[in-house]
Amino acid sequence: MSMNWLRNNLFSSPLNTVLTLASVCLIIMIGVPLVNWLFINAYWSGSTPADCPDKSAACWPFVRARFDQFMYGLYPEVERWRIHLGLGLIILAAVPLFIPRFPGKRWLLLVLVIACPLIGTGLFLGGVFGLEYVETGRWGGFFLTVITALFVLSTSLPIAVMLALGRSSSIPLVRVCCATWIELWRSVPALVVLFVAIIMFPLFMPEEIEIDKLLRALCALTVLMSCYMAEAIRGALQSIPKGQYEAAEALGLGYWRRTFLVILPQAFPVALPQITSNFIGLFKETTVLLIIGLFDLLGMVQNAASDPTWISPGVSATGYLFVALFFWLFCFSLSRYSARLERKSLTYKTH
Amino acid sequence: MQAGKTGACIRHCRSGDSEQGPGVSMMKRDVVYQAALLFIIGAVVYLVALTTQENLARLGVDSSIDFLWKRAGFEIGQKLIPFDAESTIARAFMVALLNTLLLAAVSIVCASVLGAIIGLARLSGNWLVSRLATAYIEIFRNIPSLLQIFFWYFVVLRTLPRSDESIEFFNCIFLNNRGLFVPAVSPGQGWEWIAAALFFGWAMIYFLRRQERRRHAAAGFKRAETTGTNPLASWNLLLLAGVAGVVILVGGAQWDVPREARFGYRGGLVMMPEFLSLVVGLSMYNATYIGEIVRSAFTSLPRGQTEAAASLGLPRHLTIRLVLFPQALRVIVPPLTTVYLNLFKSTSLAAAIAYPEVVSVFVGTVNNLVGQPVFIMAITMAVYVFISLCIALFLNWYNRKIALTVVS
Repeated sequence: MSMNWLRNNLFSSPLNTVLTLASVCLIIMIGVPLVNWLFINAYWSGSTPADCPDKSAACWPFVRARFDQFMYGLYPEVERWRIHLGLGLIILAAVPLFIPRFPGKRWLLLVLVIACPLIGTGLFLGGVFGLEYVETGRWGGFFLTVITALFVLSTSLPIAVMLALGRSSSIPLVRVCCATWIELWRSVPALVVLFVAIIMFPLFMPEEIEIDKLLRALCALTVLMSCYMAEAIRGALQSIPKGQYEAAEALGLGYWRRTFLVILPQAFPVALPQITSNFIGLFKETTVLLIIGLFDLLGMVQNAASDPTWISPGVSATGYLFVALFFWLFCFSLSRYSARLERKSLTYKTH
Repeated sequence: MQAGKTGACIRHCRSGDSEQGPGVSMMKRDVVYQAALLFIIGAVVYLVALTTQENLARLGVDSSIDFLWKRAGFEIGQKLIPFDAESTIARAFMVALLNTLLLAAVSIVCASVLGAIIGLARLSGNWLVSRLATAYIEIFRNIPSLLQIFFWYFVVLRTLPRSDESIEFFNCIFLNNRGLFVPAVSPGQGWEWIAAALFFGWAMIYFLRRQERRRHAAAGFKRAETTGTNPLASWNLLLLAGVAGVVILVGGAQWDVPREARFGYRGGLVMMPEFLSLVVGLSMYNATYIGEIVRSAFTSLPRGQTEAAASLGLPRHLTIRLVLFPQALRVIVPPLTTVYLNLFKSTSLAAAIAYPEVVSVFVGTVNNLVGQPVFIMAITMAVYVFISLCIALFLNWYNRKIALTVVS
C-alpha cells in the first residue's frame, strides 16, 4: 500500500514532487525551531523570573505565577467561589441545549436568557444577600471574556429577533428603520462602537445617571452583535417556505402567533449554524476590550508580560501562546459543532 | 395561480393591497404603527439631543466644527502627504485616513493572494500540501486577529536585529527593528511621462483588442469565442512593459535606495514595524477565510465542466482559465465582499499598537486635544460607513458585471 500511496499522493508528477519537497522543507524550517523553543529550550519548573534565565526561550513559570490573574483578573481570592458557582450553574443549565431531543429546550433557553443577567448582577457583582461588593474594575481575565461573551449572546438574541422581524415586516417605516439601524452598525468596526459607548453614552444620559464602564461596553457589543444576529435570523426567515405562512394564515393565526408559534421555531434551527459562527466571532472580538482599558484574558496577559520583572520576548510569546491555545480550543470545538449542525440540517431537508 | 398570488402577497405586499374588509383595517393599523414609531423615534432623538446639549454646556464644551482648522501641534509617525505640528487638524485627519486606506489596501491584496494560494493548495492532489493548507486554516482562523497582531508586533518584530545588524536582501532591502526599508521610485522629473506612457500603452492595447474583436465578428465568430484566447495577450504585456521601460530609462526617474547612515537608514520607503505587523497579522487571519471561499467555490463546480472541457480537447491550464475560474469567480465574489469589509473594519485594531490610523489619531489624540466628542465620533463613524459602502457597492457592481447571462 505504502509505495503506491506515496507515488499517487506525493510524487505523481514532477510538479508534485517539487511541491512535496518544498512542503517538507517548510515543515522542517518551522517545526524544528518551534519544537526547540517549545520543548527543548523551554523552562518548565519554578514560578519566579529567575527560573527563566534565557530571555528568548519559552517561559512556563510566568504562566504558572500569573495563572490566577489570567483566570479571574483581580477578583478577591476569598470570593472566587462565586465565579465557580455562577459559571458552573450556567454551564449546567446550558449543557442540555447541546443534547439533541432534550425536552423543553425552548423554556430552558428562556430561563437562561433571564437568569444570566441576574446571576451576573447578584452573584458576581455582589452587594446583595450579604455578599461582598466586587466592582467591575476588578473583573478580568478568562472570567471577563466568558462573561462578556455569554452576556452579549443572551441579550443580543431577543433584540436580534425583533430586528429581523422588523426588517422583513410589511410596514415600510418599520422595515426602513430596522434596515438602516442594522446596516449602520454593521459597517462600523467594533472598536468604534465601543468608543461611542465609552465617550458618547455619558453625554446622552442625564447627569445623575452614571453607567459602569463594563456595562457600557457590554451594551455596545450587544448593539453590534444583535445586528449581526438579526441578519442570520433574517436569512433563516427567508428560507421558510411560503406554504408555512399561508397555512398559519389559513388557521386564522394573527401576526404574532403565526411568527412565534409557526415561523420562528422553524427558522431558529436553520439560523443556528450562522448564529454559532457569529458567536465565535464575538468570542474572538472580546479581545478588543483591552483597547478601551478592560482587562480580558489577552489584556491580562499583555499587562502581566509588560511587568518589568518579567519582561522578555520569551515571556510575551509564552503568554500569547497560552491565550492562543485557550481561544483555539474554544473556537475550534464550537466551529466543529456548528459544522455538524449544518450537515444535520442538510440531511433533514432531504427527507 | 390564484393561490400563488395571495401567498406572495402575505409576505411581500402591503396588507392594504387587497380590497377586502380586513385589508382596509390592516392598512389603518399600519398607519397607526408607523405614526407611533415615528413619534417614539422623534421623542428619543429629541430627548437625547436635549440631554447631550445640557451635558456639553455643563462641561463647558462649545460644540463647533471649527476645531478642524486649528493647529494640530502633534507629529504623526507615518504620513503619505506632508504633515508637521504646524498643520491643521483637518490635515491630520487626511493623513490618518490615508494611513487607514493604505493599510486596508495592502492587507486586502496580501490576504487575497495568500488566500488564493491556500485555497488552491487545499484542493491540491498532493496529500502533504493539502494537509498543510488545512492545518494553516484551522490554526489561524481560530485565534483572534488582535492576538496575532500582538504576536507579530511584540514577539517577532521586537526580536529583529538592531539597525546596525540589519538583515539585508540584495543590498537594497533592509529589515531591522525600526521597520522594513525598501527602494522607492522617486518621482523625479519623468513621472508625468511614465504615467503618459502607461496610459498610451493601455490605450494601444485597448485599440488593438477592439480591432481584433471586430475582425473576429466580421469573420462570423461570436464575441464570447474570442475572449481569453487572445493571440495578442502576451504581446500586450510586452508592449506595455517595453514602452514604460523605455520611458523610465529615458525620462531619468530614479530609484531611491536606502543607504546606511549614522543613525539607521536614510532614503527609500520605510514601513513602520506597526504597519508590517498589522499587514502580516490581518492578511494571515483573513487569508484563512478567503482560502475557504476559494476552495468551496471550486468544489461547488460540477465535475461535468472539467470533463466537458477535457472532451473538447482543452489542455489543463486552459480548462482552469477559461472554464473553471470564471465560474468559480461568480461564487467567490459575494462572500469575498464580506471578508473584505471585515478586513477593512479590523484595520481599526491598529489603535492597539498605536499605528496612526483614523481611530488612534482622531478618537485618541485629537479627541484628547480638543475634546469635541460629538463631532469626532460622528466623523469617524461617517468615514467607516462611507468606505464600507464604497467597498460593498464596488464589489456588488463587479458581481453584477461577471454574473452569468443565461445562454438559452
